[in-house]
This record gives sequence, structure tokens and C-alpha cells, in this order.
Amino acid sequence: MGKRTIIPFGPQHPVLPEPIHLDLVLEDEVVVDVIPSIGYIHRGLEKLVEKKEYTEMVYVIERICGICSFGHGWGASASIEGAMGIEVPERAEYLRTIWHELSRIHSHLLWLGLLADGFGFESLFMHCWRIREHVLDLFEKTTGGRVIFSVCKVGGVRKDIDAATLKEISDTLNALKPEIKKLTDVFLEDASVKNRTVGVGVLTKEDAIELGAVGPVARGSGVYQDIRLTGNGAYHELGFEPMIEEAGDCYARTKVRIRELFQSIELITKAVELIPEGPIDVPVKGNVDGEFVLRLEQPRGEAYYYAKGAGTKFLERMRVRTPTNQNIPSLVKMLKGCDLADVPILVLTIDPCISCTER
Amino acid sequence: MEKKYLIQEFEQVTPEQLLPRVKEMKKGGYRLGQACATKQADGNIFVMYSFDLDHVLHNLKVNVPADLKLQSVTGDYWSAFIYENEMHDLFGITFENLALDYGGRFFKVSEPTPWNPQN
Amino acid sequence: MATFKIGKVVLGSLFKKPATRMYPVVAREWQDRTRGHVEIDVTSCITCGICQRKCPANAITVSRDTRTWEIQRMQCVQCGACVDNCPKKCLTMKPEYTAPGGEKVIDTFNIPEAPKPAAPAAPAADGDAAAPAAGGGLKCDTDSCVFCGLCARNCPCSAITVNRDEKQWTVDKSACVQCGLCVEKCPKKCLVIE
Repeated sequence: MGKRTIIPFGPQHPVLPEPIHLDLVLEDEVVVDVIPSIGYIHRGLEKLVEKKEYTEMVYVIERICGICSFGHGWGASASIEGAMGIEVPERAEYLRTIWHELSRIHSHLLWLGLLADGFGFESLFMHCWRIREHVLDLFEKTTGGRVIFSVCKVGGVRKDIDAATLKEISDTLNALKPEIKKLTDVFLEDASVKNRTVGVGVLTKEDAIELGAVGPVARGSGVYQDIRLTGNGAYHELGFEPMIEEAGDCYARTKVRIRELFQSIELITKAVELIPEGPIDVPVKGNVDGEFVLRLEQPRGEAYYYAKGAGTKFLERMRVRTPTNQNIPSLVKMLKGCDLADVPILVLTIDPCISCTER
Repeated sequence: MEKKYLIQEFEQVTPEQLLPRVKEMKKGGYRLGQACATKQADGNIFVMYSFDLDHVLHNLKVNVPADLKLQSVTGDYWSAFIYENEMHDLFGITFENLALDYGGRFFKVSEPTPWNPQN
Repeated sequence: MATFKIGKVVLGSLFKKPATRMYPVVAREWQDRTRGHVEIDVTSCITCGICQRKCPANAITVSRDTRTWEIQRMQCVQCGACVDNCPKKCLTMKPEYTAPGGEKVIDTFNIPEAPKPAAPAAPAADGDAAAPAAGGGLKCDTDSCVFCGLCARNCPCSAITVNRDEKQWTVDKSACVQCGLCVEKCPKKCLVIE
């Protein structure tokens, strides 16, 4: 047994776009214990509900994160709608689903790029982000923003997409498919990439359930869990089935995300075919009185929204619990027993978003 | 597909009932979804623990007593340490027998317990 | 096991146009919907201040006294809440982004005195600020009113209450900003701003 050393990892580290700090207790090269600490960018956005009306609060909640911003906007609006008992028109649900799946594609491509960057594969990183740019262009065309969309509002959506643009979305994505395939093949088949991911950081199915892992981390460990199965949005009409991998290592988590990428394209193509005509919003009047819990499957996993009103135009509580928050205990578990050199990759495979975590 | 997200289960428990109830949930195979504190209009705080089984949420609500002390659930659900430390730092609720206690240094806040109604 | 799988992609991109643009030599193409910056048509603004109240980022300041509309460009998050809520539709979202800069830009617009056909030349400079609280303001001719409540539902400030059963129509003059939305919506044309 070697001497114990404590190595600080972060808050500033080349693989981390955002600050998280890990104290790694090492025995020789092997990590034996980890103490995570966050809290460098706590902004207290949840507290703003006391000063901003609930209709405007949606735009604040959306700005919690720059990647899953659509999901946050949807989650905030839908939880308030639930508390007020509002039913959203079907076309709005379809539009929300299309945008949400588009953001999954852009988030997963971003993540694949970051992973490639994490193990020093710069050209792969650049190419992933080159393709992501096409998705961002679709976003700008339909919502007016590249990463912050502001299209969800309480009662529906603010902007409609016409038939021609919907067609363009599915055509562009289907045309991108072969290009994405070329890159994802590198992740799945290239020997140098597999050396870094196969068998690294195994999280067993039991541990994943015990520690409450969510999203691709849970699905990579063989847990049948996807919030899209709970029937929100238009998923129940699109014939959705979650992507499950059994191995529980970094490779499995990468594979889950890659399969979800193609699945999202299928879902969007199908939604574009099935989208009904009709209104995109319903008028909202009155104050929120009641509470509602809503969960959404964001690109990173299950996000949780709790809206509670007290009969005034301000909400009493808007709780947002993001997927990274829930995955940190799993990360701690994965890190125990791995090599120091694998720590950056492992931190990346939970797709950490610290701004989300601290809000 | 059934619209499971519309099922809203809230259960009010007393601080004494909390731990036994959490143990039952653990036995039933539930996964801890989240925990959060909410300040009510009358100045009281309640803590809500959400558990998930087969994509249905079950929420336990506990009113925090005046001395702001609760029993920690980290004995059964270790992953709750994140939420309990967060509530400690933001609301000033003390959790007894916390498995991983950061002692108020989890969030870097400029003033202690900023979301406590007394502040 | 495959090695250097990316070779084809990398070599292929040698013979392709760059995916990036020569910024700033090549200008960016804006989409119609791009949310770049907020513009105001000063002639139709009535300084009601709804945009200021609805702004999630507190970027807008409206002063009734000095008749100015101020926006902190770097504070604005381009959500478009002000554009949606403006009762006079004098705010628009334009696609061009604000120019990057080292200083926080505050744009101030002077709102010209609106010619009011109902009360010609009556509100002097000081009278205007006090107008909502003082005499004038929104009135309802309760004889022709049918108490449908459309005005109350459309009021952005929730200043109007209509009681259908007791045939009562009341306006909270401190909350009313005289935007005129209710006047437009009234089916019986019994509302008037004096």
C-alpha cells in the first residue's frame, strides 16, 4: 500500500468548462476517495421568483443553462401550467418536443466534442462542433436564438414553425446523418478512443439505482429509466423507447448518447409528419394557486421542476433540480478505484453542467 | 402510453415519522429523486423529499420544527448529502447524523443562510 | 480493431471550403427571427412602464416625469417579454446584435409629448405625471356597459375589476397606466380615457 496523497482537481481544469472542485485521495496512481465540492457559481436564480411574475420567470429559469435552456423553459412553463390546470394545445406540445429533441442533438454533439477534447483528439472535437453548428442554425431560424430560445411561455409556445421550415428541419437533419455517422464511428470503433473508454469507470446497475443516477449515466448501466416514458410532450404518440446499454462503463455511456442522437433525428422526422394543425397557445389569466411537480428528460438526464403558488402573481417556490446534481454521487462512486489519468474522462462522461447544478 | 406525469402524490409526515417512512421507501425499491426546502408565506419552512418508482413520483413533506433540526436521510440514501448540505447552507436547517457534512462550506455564499426567512 | 478512423474525414476537409467565416470581413446573415436588440418607436410610446415591469433583467427604465425610455443594452437578455407585452406595439425586436464593446451602453430615447385629442393642451408638464392619480383617467359609461369583463381580462396592469352580478365597474387609478387596451377591446365602446 502506497502513501496517501490528496490531489486537488479543479475548479479550473482544462476539461472543465465550469468550476467543480474534487479532492482526490490517491494511493500511488489510484483514486481511493473523492470529496466533491461545488458552490462557486451559485446565483440564487430560484429566489428571483419572489420578485418576478411567473410569466416572466420562465425566461429567467431558461437562462439557468446555455445547453439545456429549452428544457428549462419547458419545465418551468409546464410545471406552472400544471399548477394552474392549463391544458396546452397539441400543436404546442409537438413544437416543444421538436425543439427539445433538437436541443438533445446539439447537446450530445457538444458533449461528444468535449469528450474528444478530453482525451486530446482535437480534430474530432472540431468536427463534432462543425456539425452542431447546423443544428444551431436551425434553432436561430425557428426561435431567434442560437442557445437561448425564449419560445416557451406559460400556456404554449410563442412562435410557430411553418410547414416548409418543419420540412427543412427534418431534411437538414437527415442529410447530416451520414456525416454524424462518420464521426460517431470514430468514437465507437477507433482503437485509440476505445482504449480510453472501454472498461473505465464501471457503474453497476445496483449502484446506479442506489445512488439515483439519471439520464445516459443510468441508461448506460442498464437501468430502464427515461422520463420521456411518463407521457409528457408528444412522446407518447411518437412510439418512444429508451436506449439502454448494459456495460456501465464510459464506452456504454458514450454509446447511449450516440444512439440517442440518431433516435432524436427519427423522433423529429416522425413529429414533423404527425404534427397537427391548430393554435399554439391558450390565454393565461389569474394567479397560481397550487403545486405541481414535473420532470423532463433533458439531454443530461432527468430534470425536476416544482412550482408552488400562493395565490399571488409571484410564485412561492420554483425548485429546479438538474441532472448533474443527481449524478454527482454516481460520479464519486465511479471515480473510486480509477487511475488519476482517467479522472477527466470520467468527470466528462456524466456530462457535468455546474451552472445548472447551482442555479 | 399512460400520462404518468400527471400523477401528483404528496404525503405529509411529521419529523418523527420521516425516517421510518424513508426506510420503507428504501425497502420498496424507490430511488431518491431530490430534496428541497420551501419557505411558505407564513414564514415556516417545509422540506420535500421526492422518490421515484417506475416513473411515478411520491413526495414526502415534512414541516421543519422551530429549532430547524431534522434527521438526515443519508443513512438510507447516501446521495441525499448534496441536497441536505444545500439546504443547510441556504436555509440554515441542521441535519443530524449527516453522512458527509461540509459544515456550511458546500455553497460559497457571501452571507450565511441567505434564504432563511429570519434573514 | 480499426485505427485512425477519422482519416477520411480529416483528409476530405483539406479539399473543402472552411466551415467558418472570415469574421468580421464577411458579414453574418441574420435570420428574420433573430433576437438581436430591442428598438422603440418613440412616437407611439405612452410611457406606461409595462415593459419596465415585465423585463426579467431590469434592463429598461421608463420615466414618466422626464419622458424618457432607457435601455441598458448589456443588461438586456433579448427575451422579448417587453415586445410581447407592449400595449401600443411600439417596441420591436431587430435581428442585429448590439456591437461588442468595453463599456456598458445605455441608450436613452426621448418620448415626444403625445398630442391628446381628448384633452387638447390640458396636461401641462407637471400635470402629466400626476394624471393617472388625479381626476381624468379611464372612465366607463355604465349606462351602455354590459359588464362583459373583456376590459378587465385585457388589462395588463389588472387595474380594472368588473362585477357582473352587482353591475359594478371599478378602476384602480393608481394601477392604471392609461394604455388604452381596454378602450380598444370594449365591444360597447363605453370606455374613454379623459
